[in-house]
Amino acid sequence: MAKALSLHNGVYLIIALALIIFPFVTESRTWTILLTQIFIFAILAMSYDLLLGYTGIVSFGHAMFFGIGAYSTGIFLKSFEPTLLYFILSIACGMVLAAIVSFFVGILTLRLKSHYFAMLTLALSGLFLVAAEKWRTLTYGNDGFTFRAPEIFQDRLVFYLVALGCLLASFVFLKRFVSSPMGRVLISLRENESRTASLGFKTLHYKVIASVAAGVIASLAGSLYAISLRFVNTSVMTMDITLDALLMTIIGGVGTLIGPILGAGVIELAQHYLSGLARENPIFERWIILFGILYILAVIFFPRGIAGGIQSLYLKLRGKKVGVHRSLKKRVVKS
Amino acid sequence: MELLINIFVNGLATGMLIFLLAAGLTLIFGLMDVLNFAHGGLFVWGAFAAVWTYTATDSFMLAILGALLTGVVLGFVTEKLIIAPVYGNHVQQILITLGFMLVLTEMIKVVFGPNQLAAGVPSYLAGSFEIGDVILIKYRLFIIVTGFVVFALIQFILKRTKIGLIVRAGVLNKDMVQALGIHIKKVFLYTFIAGAALAAFGGALMAPYSGVVYAEMGLEFGILAFIVVVIGGMGSLPGSLFAAILVGLAGSFMAYYVPDLSLAVNMILMAIVLIFRPQGLFAARG
Repeated sequence: MAKALSLHNGVYLIIALALIIFPFVTESRTWTILLTQIFIFAILAMSYDLLLGYTGIVSFGHAMFFGIGAYSTGIFLKSFEPTLLYFILSIACGMVLAAIVSFFVGILTLRLKSHYFAMLTLALSGLFLVAAEKWRTLTYGNDGFTFRAPEIFQDRLVFYLVALGCLLASFVFLKRFVSSPMGRVLISLRENESRTASLGFKTLHYKVIASVAAGVIASLAGSLYAISLRFVNTSVMTMDITLDALLMTIIGGVGTLIGPILGAGVIELAQHYLSGLARENPIFERWIILFGILYILAVIFFPRGIAGGIQSLYLKLRGKKVGVHRSLKKRVVKS
Repeated sequence: MELLINIFVNGLATGMLIFLLAAGLTLIFGLMDVLNFAHGGLFVWGAFAAVWTYTATDSFMLAILGALLTGVVLGFVTEKLIIAPVYGNHVQQILITLGFMLVLTEMIKVVFGPNQLAAGVPSYLAGSFEIGDVILIKYRLFIIVTGFVVFALIQFILKRTKIGLIVRAGVLNKDMVQALGIHIKKVFLYTFIAGAALAAFGGALMAPYSGVVYAEMGLEFGILAFIVVVIGGMGSLPGSLFAAILVGLAGSFMAYYVPDLSLAVNMILMAIVLIFRPQGLFAARG
């Protein structure tokens, strides 16, 4: 096992190095921007995976934390000087806010069963969206506002490296997090909550910690997203962001961390190319249908997505059996 | 006074439309224990089918029939393809029906074009009654009456017929119903189709009320219907009616008196109910 793990780490390291070198060998501006976008959404999707894939809870309110990060950065850089210091401060501020909000939201909502929890998170993120819409003195509502990014980010290459750095840091952090004893408890929550509770774990505490961690990382993604656009409006709080995170996580593979990164890549790339193709044939404008169908097929037939598929293929080749999440296994109605 | 009545009638009409949507949802959840996030998609398909038929044939009755037919067909397809593989697993149901919702919404744009369509009111329902200073718009009254008729009809079917008995027994204990020799999966399928048809019917009535139909309204109304079902208590039909009227009235009064809060009022209502009484106001079971 240890050997296999080091092999994994080796592969990750090679991919990371390739990504670091990549912008130095190509001149393509489009690719640099596209990859930056992928990194940002990969961070968001990974944080969602911590909830969906590792703890087994479906949140419809993830956009709330993404929006908190985006607005913190936007407002900081607009009201103060656009320097690196304020940028870092704004990220910290967004993370602290996201931690506070996710803590209280978690305490309020995580006691409820899955569907009630999903609905309540949807309601709360809806409230945040309305607040962003109405608090016009601060957020400028749906029109949004532009701001100047720190000088150093004028160079797309620097920002690319920063986004990649954040992605790697989040990946390593989350990887450590889910393999820690704490993460093991989360996985046991996903597998069987009542049994975990009867073993003496305070399930609510663990779920709240998971949702705080996921919220903080989503806020980081939001901050980076704001910088990449140099513009914030209410779209960062909408359901679309949560849906994106959900699609990326499911298509890439839940409960794998690397899956959401793949998912973010696949979806962003396909979005880029298919909306390019739309000029030739309008059917491609409706590319989301393809993803919807792919997503449905993934939920039914490949509950572990791309990454899970590769993993089980790899293990099958080595003649090992793979376990499937209980929460995602097909179950027939009891009769 | 006339202002109050107008706001009241307006809110009641909106509430009734939401009720039509929520009624199907509450049956599906109560009986089948299925969280159907694609319900709004069925609603919007009903709306578009009705508008399309109405423009083609100029008959409101045919439009409603067209919507019901669409609802039945889509309900059948949805149950067979989307819901059947994921019975008994809430997380997967949420995920898959949400995906199907996306597909349904985009399919609308493929079939009917990406723009919103204008919907007309048939001549015999256009215009309004004037009683003193109070102006009552005919179509709104029609919706309110239809809503109560549908409620009475469903209640009658549930409480007075054999089918209703099976459905109610299924809500309480489906294993027992199965053990008594009733093909519960067939009952599931029919209930789902009925729920889908109700949603499409709601969409058909919604179209002339709002004047335009657009693909994204499925998600908006789907969320509203869920809010109503959660407030009313999953599986309770009177609860859904009460909650739908509450949501409709709260929305229309807030829109007039505190417009800033009108967008948030439903979310606030649901949050309060979920925090203090998570099983809803009229829970069918414990």
